[in-house]
Amino acid sequence: MRKILATITKEWILTRRDVAGFMLLFLMPAVLIVVMAMVQDAPFKDYQEMRFELLIADHDNGSIAQSIKDGLKESGSFVVTDSIDGQPVTETQLKELLQQGDYKVGIVIPKGATAEMVNAANLVANSISEKLGLGSMPSREVRDSLYIRMYFDPVAKPTYRMAVSFALDKLITFSSSHILVERVSQLGMSAIDTTTTDSTHTDSTATHSLEQADSIDSSSIAADTNILQEAQPVQDFEKIFKGLGIKEHLLNDKEEVVKAHINSVQHNVPAWAIFGMFFIVIPICGHLIREREEGSALRVELIPGARRMVALGKILFYTMVCTIQFALMFCVGIWLLPMLGLPALQLGAHAWVLIPVAIAIAVAATSYGYFVGVAFKTTNQAMPFGAISVVILSAMGGIWVPADIFSPMMQKLAMLSPLYWGLDAVNHVTLRNGGIESVVPHIGVLAGFSTILFVISTHRNKNRARSIQ
Amino acid sequence: MSLAIEINELHKQYPGSWSPALDGLSLGVKENSITGLLGPNGAGKTTTINIICGLAQPDMGQAKVFGVDCISHTNAVRSQIGVVPQQIALFPNLTAWENFLYIGQLYGIDRSYIKDRAGQLLQRLDLEKHAEKRIQSFSGGMKRRANIIASLLHYPQILILDEPTAGVDVQSRAMILDFIQEYKQEGKTVLYTSHLLDEAEKICDDVVIIDEGKFIIEGTPQSLIHNTHDCTDLEDVFLHYTGHSVRD
Repeated sequence: MRKILATITKEWILTRRDVAGFMLLFLMPAVLIVVMAMVQDAPFKDYQEMRFELLIADHDNGSIAQSIKDGLKESGSFVVTDSIDGQPVTETQLKELLQQGDYKVGIVIPKGATAEMVNAANLVANSISEKLGLGSMPSREVRDSLYIRMYFDPVAKPTYRMAVSFALDKLITFSSSHILVERVSQLGMSAIDTTTTDSTHTDSTATHSLEQADSIDSSSIAADTNILQEAQPVQDFEKIFKGLGIKEHLLNDKEEVVKAHINSVQHNVPAWAIFGMFFIVIPICGHLIREREEGSALRVELIPGARRMVALGKILFYTMVCTIQFALMFCVGIWLLPMLGLPALQLGAHAWVLIPVAIAIAVAATSYGYFVGVAFKTTNQAMPFGAISVVILSAMGGIWVPADIFSPMMQKLAMLSPLYWGLDAVNHVTLRNGGIESVVPHIGVLAGFSTILFVISTHRNKNRARSIQ
Repeated sequence: MSLAIEINELHKQYPGSWSPALDGLSLGVKENSITGLLGPNGAGKTTTINIICGLAQPDMGQAKVFGVDCISHTNAVRSQIGVVPQQIALFPNLTAWENFLYIGQLYGIDRSYIKDRAGQLLQRLDLEKHAEKRIQSFSGGMKRRANIIASLLHYPQILILDEPTAGVDVQSRAMILDFIQEYKQEGKTVLYTSHLLDEAEKICDDVVIIDEGKFIIEGTPQSLIHNTHDCTDLEDVFLHYTGHSVRD
């Protein structure tokens, strides 16, 4: 028992003397808990609790567009943006913003959407009025080509796409029903007033008619029921829906474009490949500390002009290792996962852009490892910090949970993580079919991160291992 | 004889230390000589070597190698000196040959020259048959000898050795001391520290004794023994000037 107690005491003394290691032991898990709780907050919420940013290009400017926008806003699930800098959003602008990943979904309400809806409602109303022997409203044949177009960022999760499509579909159905009821009511009013006026198809009149329709008595509604039933309602409502439907469009619908959406493979392969690349921090800082402890770092220090070149050589070597690691992980996504019944990883229309992206991520990962190896004196300090910090940076960077569903504050914090820039760059190439120009900012950020760490590390390393003993 | 190393009024105090490591130290190392820098623990030997190598900066004073300032022209000075640290400054997972090849290339030496130079040194220090073995498998004496080879690949004009024979067997020690003397015979300068005073007495042309960061005395071992009262060897001289109190 005395021996055990003596050992406990000795371990306590050693732990207490390694203040940095002792602090890390408590600090790092605490930081991890905070970050993970914040990151995973969104996925644990229902979609009803979340608010999505939605971009609308309104080419209609009619009541249908307004009713869709109002409906989306009132639902509380969407933050609707239909103008930027005081100018209405155009379809081209909408596509560009989606392509850049600034928004996840865009809706284009085509010109004449309201007119098409009113026309379809008039057709139904006319078919009813024929049975009643009442007048008719102006109408024409239904156009097949008019659709509300939805554009999604390919990075948007399928559940998110479904939520938006469902909400929009519901709003259109509601608006269609509203106009139809309005039109039928207008006819009812005409019957009551026994006036044969040309039906107006402007929305203000329609709204006015709707208000008047409130005065129709229950007996006339009951009398109309049989007529409505005879009017082949299913067929007529189909006309309404045919009048204005929803179609999902691809952001880039050129033929050569590889059409990929986010799925398990498209997210997990690049995400965990980048995570794995950053785990290079463990061997790098292990080697650096060991070389200092063994004395070989001192040998390098004594050779004129060698320190910087050796540091650069190390970074280049581990960059190559990380790049190969990235390529192998992508091979797994392309060839191995399909054999296991999963979709194959799509590389996008400009797959070659992944080479500079992978190199930029690899340099950032290696520089980070070099920094950790230089910043800490012992492996006891460097290893736990290195491992846990990579987990924290990966969680912040959207590796565990896509950053799109983070809270706004976490989305800002995510930008501090090099893994975020790496993953977003890969998504730009593989999902958004982006070219080199689309990832230049990402490569720039990763290069800046690497340069800062490299400069700090080489400067700090100058002061390490600086004694012949 | 001109001086290879000149040290003038060096002051150095480490942060958090009560007393200075160097307190106005001045000394000179003659060209083409073996000079022993002797002193008890904490005398300032290692700090002096660190300043000469550009590994530490003095608070005041100057250190020059062949007239070149060690602080402002560190790289120029480092190319003139070969330092054999007390610590084995080699890559233990590489073989001796791989170590020399890598270190030589860092010095910017041609591969064929490294091969010739390392081959000669391996042969001279009796490590030729172990060239393909990893350093981690070497004995203490072999590691020390390999450590010396790594410091001599660029054929430096000055060789600085910090306790090169600490912890080695008698045979290895004899070989190392012979080698140091041979190196001097090639026209080179050697600055050497040791706590083994019989060794210093045997191989040094000059001895400098320092204590508490200050210069104490300088001279040939024989002159110091002869001129110091009641001294029969260098150890007596050393104790005479530095006292018998144990140093921390």
